[in-house]
Amino acid sequence: MNAIKLFVQRRYPSFLVYRTATTKKKIHDPREEEKLPIFQYPVSKSSDRRVYVWGLAETGALGIHMPRSKKTGKKSYRNNFTFVTYPKRSSFCERFDVTKIACGYGFTVAAVKTSEQHKVFGTGINTDSQIGYHAPRIGKPLEMLLSPAPIYIPYNSLETKITGLAAGRAHTLILTDNEGVYTLGNNAYGQCGRKINANEEYRGSMASHNIKRLGKEKIIDICCGQDHSLFITESGKVYSCGWGADGQTGLGTYENQGFPAAVKGDITSEKIVKVASTADCVLALNDKGELFGWGNSEYGQVPMATNQQQVNMSYALVKFTKGLGKIVDVAAGGSFCLICNEHGDAFVWGFGLLGLGPNVQHAKEPKQIPTPLFGRNEFNPEQMVTNVACGIGHLAAVTNNGDLYMWGRNRHGCLGLGHGKDQHFPLKISIGAHVLSVDCSVDHTIAMCQPFT
Amino acid sequence: MVQIKDAALAYKILNGLICVYKPACVSVRQVQHKILTNLCRDLNDLPDRPQEKRVEIVGATNAPMKVKLLPNFADDPLVCGPRYIQKDFRCSWATHLGLFSSGILLLGINDGTKLTYLLNTARLTRAFKVHGQLGKATDTYFWNGRTMERSTYGHVSREKIDRIVANMQAAHQKTMYELSGLHIDSQTTYEMASQGLIRPANNKLPVVYGIKCIHFAPPNFTLEVQSVNEYDKYLWTLIHDLGVQLKSTAHCTGVQCIRHGKFDIPLALLRKHWTLEHILNNMDECRQLLEENENLLKPKSATLSV
Repeated sequence: MNAIKLFVQRRYPSFLVYRTATTKKKIHDPREEEKLPIFQYPVSKSSDRRVYVWGLAETGALGIHMPRSKKTGKKSYRNNFTFVTYPKRSSFCERFDVTKIACGYGFTVAAVKTSEQHKVFGTGINTDSQIGYHAPRIGKPLEMLLSPAPIYIPYNSLETKITGLAAGRAHTLILTDNEGVYTLGNNAYGQCGRKINANEEYRGSMASHNIKRLGKEKIIDICCGQDHSLFITESGKVYSCGWGADGQTGLGTYENQGFPAAVKGDITSEKIVKVASTADCVLALNDKGELFGWGNSEYGQVPMATNQQQVNMSYALVKFTKGLGKIVDVAAGGSFCLICNEHGDAFVWGFGLLGLGPNVQHAKEPKQIPTPLFGRNEFNPEQMVTNVACGIGHLAAVTNNGDLYMWGRNRHGCLGLGHGKDQHFPLKISIGAHVLSVDCSVDHTIAMCQPFT
Repeated sequence: MVQIKDAALAYKILNGLICVYKPACVSVRQVQHKILTNLCRDLNDLPDRPQEKRVEIVGATNAPMKVKLLPNFADDPLVCGPRYIQKDFRCSWATHLGLFSSGILLLGINDGTKLTYLLNTARLTRAFKVHGQLGKATDTYFWNGRTMERSTYGHVSREKIDRIVANMQAAHQKTMYELSGLHIDSQTTYEMASQGLIRPANNKLPVVYGIKCIHFAPPNFTLEVQSVNEYDKYLWTLIHDLGVQLKSTAHCTGVQCIRHGKFDIPLALLRKHWTLEHILNNMDECRQLLEENENLLKPKSATLSV
């Protein structure tokens, strides 16, 4: 029976099937090539920027959640991630020309190049109206934004340009080219630079404050710590306001400061070009590349002769950083400090995962992170660290070749290494663009990049 | 160099490593075959050892016998064939070079096969000149493939190539830690990493240590690649990827190995010099080089030395 079946199935015996097989490669007609069209791929402009975001996405601080799509349920979002452990390209920044970006504690603000009203966008936690008043229903302000929304600021002129952004735990500073600084958010310690009102309700607040000038001078740079704000004026003076319990305002007291006042101590006669603060320790850099510091020094970030743990006035750290050369960039984290000098070497001190291997937890003196870890080797002898940044527990360095290296506590995947494990020495982050600068906060990181072509 | 007088003596000292220049479109096996045939030819041309004699004892057994020494025809080359044939040689390469690649090839002859094994496990870096051409992508990533796409390349500049190439190089350093076989959280890893580059633990995946653009005249360009565990097709894909990143297309037009560990181009024997005399000279130079650099064969640490 089976044999008959087989016979029926094989109507044509196999020897009749005529087929040629060859292992020889077919030679193509060279004229075939001529018929192919010549593609022209779009090339980016030199002003184009790409922004990569990673870390905790649940708060909406990454702004990657896309508005609900119609196909699925009503409450669902596209890109509904909890964590983003790899750098992810922000689609918001593809749609707008983002010029400045700043990370706060669980929120992000971005400045857009435009001559319209909405120049600054915010996303993330909004419990203290640090990213403005957003209420789809009257009287029900949103405490969290999952995708970027414009922040209303009463500008005098629509031609005003945003030249700087800074974000703290729950407040935002917006620096403009000729209207001074606008502050938003929590003012419980005076970090917004206005009078402290103990009964003020920050949730759903529409208040924004404008600081036009400080000491009759234009403000050129701003910086936010956890609950304090720092301003640099044209002549290099530093003003501060906000929480002062650890001396981070540098005003000689441990009181909270409502109105910005000039920082006391060694920096009064210096021209300061940069201040850095993430939590409660502040580092400042003058035009000669010398270092100054004040604020919390529990882990020896601002070492004092008297073992003082709260330094309430600025002190020169010239002796401390002797032999390191001219310093070009500074960053202060939660319990450590990171600086880089003109030779492209990075130095770290303080407590935590400093990038000196798993055995080193504490460094009293500035210790150099071995340069081979930043990719300087016999094949690439000119690699230099040019920019540094610190979050609360993680550190970042950008090199002159546009490579980003990160290490430290990997809270919610904020190192962008693709996993949640801590990293004990600098490791390159995979980003397919030339990294220009990086901004870290508690649990997310944002890198501003330039496309290669 | 001693004058070779005797084929047997020459054969005895033919133990070691030689460095030859492999032409493109000639496979490694063909190179091997050619060298061995040349060696056999040259050895057979040399004065031969005296032919063996055959002892013949003749005469009646009950009387004093005569001992005669007669020519042994069994040892005559006309009977038993040439003295030296290819089967008398063992030959192996240290690291393979693809059919279309040219450049330095290390071959071990007879006892030199042990050296090639050690050189292979030492994972020495090789430097390549990889030539590419913009504007065309092929299915094999090489010039002999079928053209799949054509595109413009007017926007490509040297700075753009340099930037992408630097990024590629830095990205490979991260894989270097992964392939070193070390646990990333350990103190040992940190200490090794802070000394410099680390060799891969096995030969499974390619690691690129350095890429540099050394020549750019659109549409042609040349990259210098320093790597371990690479193979020709991998280098072709590097060119293809570079083309994609440049918002254009590219294919590889040639791969040339210019350095293998400490062995470089001036040492390599050209095809016209693949003769016994030159090979023996070259073997001597290679031996000297190996004696000077002990870590070529047995590296003491996992850091990349050569």
